[in-house]
Amino acid sequence: MRLTMRTKVGVVTAGFELVLLALPALAHHSFAAEYDSNKKVNVTGTVKKVEWTNPHSRMYLEVKDAKGTVTLWNFEFGSPNHLFRAGWTRNTVKEGDQITVEGFPAKDGSHLAQTRQVTLADGRKVPGFAGGADSGGAPTQ
Amino acid sequence: MRTRFARLLIIASALGISAWAQEPAAAGANAPARRGGGPAAPSGPVPRLANGKPDLNGLLNGGPSSQDIGLNLMTGEQIVLTPSAEKLMKERRPKDDPEANCLPAGVPRMAPYPWRIVQQSTHIFILFEANIHSYRQILIDGRQHTPEANRWPSWYGDSIGSWDGDTLVVDTVGFNDRFWFDAKGHPHTDQLHTIERYTRKDLGTLVVETTIIDPGAYVKPFKISYSARYAPKDELMEYICAENNQDVTHISTPTGLR
Repeated sequence: MRLTMRTKVGVVTAGFELVLLALPALAHHSFAAEYDSNKKVNVTGTVKKVEWTNPHSRMYLEVKDAKGTVTLWNFEFGSPNHLFRAGWTRNTVKEGDQITVEGFPAKDGSHLAQTRQVTLADGRKVPGFAGGADSGGAPTQ
Repeated sequence: MRTRFARLLIIASALGISAWAQEPAAAGANAPARRGGGPAAPSGPVPRLANGKPDLNGLLNGGPSSQDIGLNLMTGEQIVLTPSAEKLMKERRPKDDPEANCLPAGVPRMAPYPWRIVQQSTHIFILFEANIHSYRQILIDGRQHTPEANRWPSWYGDSIGSWDGDTLVVDTVGFNDRFWFDAKGHPHTDQLHTIERYTRKDLGTLVVETTIIDPGAYVKPFKISYSARYAPKDELMEYICAENNQDVTHISTPTGLR
């Protein structure tokens, strides 16, 4: 059973890595002008607020460092249209959840990042920019 | 190289959908009908209306690349900018892209979201989920273009349609010069004239070939094409781009960085 679970996660991760290649070029706006793909943010915190809005969903995370200082991070996700078509629901991430988010930070130094992957409260890992119709012109399923 | 990359995007996108779909617990019980824009496009012959014309009605996924219209050039076609258009394109900055600022994408650009064709005997409407939540109106009742004195430069222009056999031909003039063809900033002027040919190849596929004519910005006309797929189980969703558009305030780098 455990092996099966691991295999599933592996498949999800492999698929997601491929999607990542596409995402920077496919977002609503220019990715490279806003985010730095050479840097990475990986933080764990408490979801303060979820915005199911366009052009992007956003999740605000309170992150506490070793000294106890709390920073509010703004993580940009795919639009709710993309996320829900890819299987997200309003219950996938809720306010108060403890989640880990990995993403590319904004070039302007603000506490903003475009999400790569989320580790949900129950340990599952899901992409923050799920494929769906975000094909950049290519026909999709 | 571009073709290869475009193929990779298609594969990546498809894999992303199927991979996420393997997590039913995360997906939830209510989502599958809409997941990934619905199941694979249906197969079968071209459906027809009572008058014998192809039935184009339906929700579609696909459009020219919103990032670079050059990816959709038809074989043998070239984009040759006039010197003034080339200068304008070089000066453009990502933060100024009207599409990123939640303004309409114009023609032929489309945001990577579903769109729906609504076909009536006198009008055809193209409903865009994004960007923006808007529509194009195409008159197919035999009328000619609205006289120039009676229209003003607009984002979607003045469109009339006619049938060339089984192909719907949409002729559009009267555009403004404000939208960009893609995120690279390919420009145009208010002399823009587009001729789109919509052909439903089968139950699941619509092929669109567009001729771009704009002597103000391009030395010669060029043709692009794309294939869109019908997704009968999907529906349009709301997309109000301006409700929470934070991106442009964080974009400041030069146009070369895309």
